[in-house]
Amino acid sequence: MTALSYSYYPGCSLHASASEYDISTREVCSALGIALEEIPDWICCGATPAHNVDELLSLSLSAKNLELAEQMEGNRDMAVACASCFSRLKFAQHIMEKSEDKRKLVEKAIDAPVSLDRKVKHLLEILARDFGLEKLASFVKKPLSDLTVACYYGCLLTRPADVPNLDCPEAPTIMESIMKVIGAETVPWTHRLECCGANFTLSRPPVVQQLSNAVLDSAKAAGADCIVVACPLCHGNLDIRQKEIEGIYSTDYGLPIFYLTQLVGLALGISFEKLGLDALIVSPQKLLKQKKLI
Amino acid sequence: MSRIGVFICHCGENISRTVDVELVASTASQFPGVAFATDYKYMCSDPGQSLIKKAVSEHRLTHVVVAACSPRMHERTFRKAVEQVGLNPFLCEMANIREHCSWVHEDREEATQKAIEIVGMLVERVKKNRVLPTITVPVTKRALVIGGGIAGIQAALDIADAGHQVVLVEREPSIGGHMAQLSETFPTLDCSQCIMTPKMVDLANHPNIIMHTYSEIEQVDGYIGNFQVTIRKKARSVDENKCTGCGICMTKCPQKKIPNIFDRNLGTRTAIYVPFPQAVPNVPVIDRENCTMFKTGKCGVCQKVCGPGAIDFNQQDTLIVEPVGAIVVATGFELYDITEKPKGSPIKGYGEFGHGKIPDVIDGLTFERLASASGPTGGKILRPSDGKEPKQVVFIQCVGSRSREKGISYCSKICCMYTAKHTMLYHHKVHDGQAYVFFMDARVPGKSYDEFWRRAIEEEEAVYIRGMVSRLYQKGDKIVVMGSDISVGVQVEIEADLVVLATAVQPRKGADALAQKLGISYDKYHFYSEAHAKLKPVECATAGIYLAGACQGPKDIPDTVSQASAAAAKVMTLFSKDKLEREPIVARVKENNCVGCFACRKVCAYGAVEEKEIRDRQGNLIKMVAYVNPGVCAGCGTCQATCPSKSVELDGYTDEQIVAMIEAL
Repeated sequence: MTALSYSYYPGCSLHASASEYDISTREVCSALGIALEEIPDWICCGATPAHNVDELLSLSLSAKNLELAEQMEGNRDMAVACASCFSRLKFAQHIMEKSEDKRKLVEKAIDAPVSLDRKVKHLLEILARDFGLEKLASFVKKPLSDLTVACYYGCLLTRPADVPNLDCPEAPTIMESIMKVIGAETVPWTHRLECCGANFTLSRPPVVQQLSNAVLDSAKAAGADCIVVACPLCHGNLDIRQKEIEGIYSTDYGLPIFYLTQLVGLALGISFEKLGLDALIVSPQKLLKQKKLI
Repeated sequence: MSRIGVFICHCGENISRTVDVELVASTASQFPGVAFATDYKYMCSDPGQSLIKKAVSEHRLTHVVVAACSPRMHERTFRKAVEQVGLNPFLCEMANIREHCSWVHEDREEATQKAIEIVGMLVERVKKNRVLPTITVPVTKRALVIGGGIAGIQAALDIADAGHQVVLVEREPSIGGHMAQLSETFPTLDCSQCIMTPKMVDLANHPNIIMHTYSEIEQVDGYIGNFQVTIRKKARSVDENKCTGCGICMTKCPQKKIPNIFDRNLGTRTAIYVPFPQAVPNVPVIDRENCTMFKTGKCGVCQKVCGPGAIDFNQQDTLIVEPVGAIVVATGFELYDITEKPKGSPIKGYGEFGHGKIPDVIDGLTFERLASASGPTGGKILRPSDGKEPKQVVFIQCVGSRSREKGISYCSKICCMYTAKHTMLYHHKVHDGQAYVFFMDARVPGKSYDEFWRRAIEEEEAVYIRGMVSRLYQKGDKIVVMGSDISVGVQVEIEADLVVLATAVQPRKGADALAQKLGISYDKYHFYSEAHAKLKPVECATAGIYLAGACQGPKDIPDTVSQASAAAAKVMTLFSKDKLEREPIVARVKENNCVGCFACRKVCAYGAVEEKEIRDRQGNLIKMVAYVNPGVCAGCGTCQATCPSKSVELDGYTDEQIVAMIEAL
């Protein structure tokens, strides 16, 4: 089997507030021998605002990125780490596949033909399916035994049912399956698919505080040591706002919020700093030391 | 020389809207062999038929082509009409210019041209039609009813009361079906057992009814009036003739912890059991999977205590062949369950409701058992997890039903009413309790139905919330129900003690396999298909087989009973004649050409092809050829298409006729 190779779309967050997700993604892929080549000159996917304002704009932004990836050598599928970018790119493909008219409009807007041949893949499917759980297990140097994690999917990774096609939209297991392979224990909990408040984080913080609190509360109640996420926005709300939420609701969660790749990286024996674990607001130092993982 | 009459129907505006019917008529009148052509608004109406009959006599017509709707709709109508004026009915053909033309086209000019060509083809075909004598077959005046729920019971009683013998086959150890499981029934709240069990007894005692419980249909051969049905009577391990139904075997059976399926697994039963105390027949059956004797070879307590010596551990399945003339299929329904479905399944589970893993999230039928006086709680509403009385109960309608995402787009029809009933039963039993109902729409048409639903809200204090539920999860000993109230546009969160799901009505598992045995058709959900949605709602397209109850589509008790009586009436109509006339559109084998390869036999879905010996005068066998039994042949033509030596021909569709039709284009 030839080595896996993807065009890589980091998206804006991974170049800014979620740089540790970017760093750890690259580290993990390199350790596993998965080649990621960043798409040259990629642009923002439009995130939540674009498709709320102008569908054509939103589709065209994603289509442009798909087209740029198409231009790259090697006929590769596209790897995406951010759940929101993943959702937008998948939506664009889905809508253009269903509507020839919209596809034509988009092609006119970006002045290039749109091909829908390349698959857009989230890191979760790359690790669990393309690379494979068995193979991943063979790379594990330091199993995260003793660590109890709550896998948090949020809204976009699996929904709506017919767009991302990543896993069962209401009862996914893909993240848990990766966590099990790297030795961590996963807990069943109630809020793994609830919304964290997402981009209301700036416009209506009380909404985010309320929703993220429910997520944190549920994970804590289920007995998790930490939460693992695959989305920069979820991460921001649960990690950066955690202290503030604890204040408002007079509780003490102390739940480190990890990116998927950070925990996989730890299990592969990659160092704390290289995975950007020092960038987390809720420090994982104490927990990881206690579990003898650093 | 043929003198063909061509009659073009407007079908109100269905055809004339897109097809210039007058032009079709005038063009057709010029076709070679056509002696007369005209058009009329409703050819199938009485004046329309008279017009045809008059023309046949006046113009001495030898053949008739009616260009109208599908022959499935009115071929019989027009053939009967021409027969009345002395023409052989099989010299009349229909040209379908509605379904095949006007309904599917928009361009009037092109549609008209196509209609002319369709008529032209049929004119060429009808020229080569033969005069066919009607085939008559004898009728066995006994009926088979498959399923012993309320539908099957009603149909069987009606047919038996008319004086005909009925064989009723039920898969379970007792008749009664779902209705025996219900507590009280809408819209009058009379006890289901009280109206059901007397009928069960009537059935068992009826001199004209032979009842086979714990039995399944193994094989169905034959055709209308002459079916041979093989029934597998499963080994009960109890001799029905010896058992007195005293029940001592059940009280002594050491295996007492087997989940009781009849009680939706809420209670337990023994390994030798009757499904419920009022079972008919009151003869137990041994559940061999859970019986210690069958598992380890040691026990036999029931055998020791049985006075009449009815227990027979060595009993085997037996096969019985019953000759019948008509079949009523009444296999009923089951409820969709929200558990995770296999990958790729067209029907999905409800992960958002916990995939069935939250113990106090139950379905409507389980609630019926809780509310039933003969149920596992003696009629007290107690939740399964801890046996406490729930004070807040949330009912959720349309679970599965009307959810394209879950793979079921139809409405299950009965849930709005039974949920309203559940809120009332709950209110009657738990006075300080509160019932909430999440609903999309209230679909309560039916006599006294809307009044009943309003009573639930106005007098019985159920709180109806228009909106759906997005998630259920366990929080401590409560179930958090997250929903929306779309009429005021707010999110609703209720901490419930018990959640009752009105899950979708689905056909029985194995409905497709039974349909294949019977040779009847079914839809993508495996509900059986009626011959015509409006005009033949109880007949199957396969002659002699009728439908009753929820196996055809979701139905409540009143509708089920009506349909069952209708199916019984159809059976009685069939049995009112001693001989049955069949269409002679059957395949014929040209024995001179046939080489006896029997490729036709392999493809015949009806088992109509037999082997026939051809002998010379001295009696020496010359060859074997195929013979099509005209009583069984359904005229599908598959054999004709398959025959490599072109030795089989279907009357009305011979190669000569097909070629003539193509040449007319």
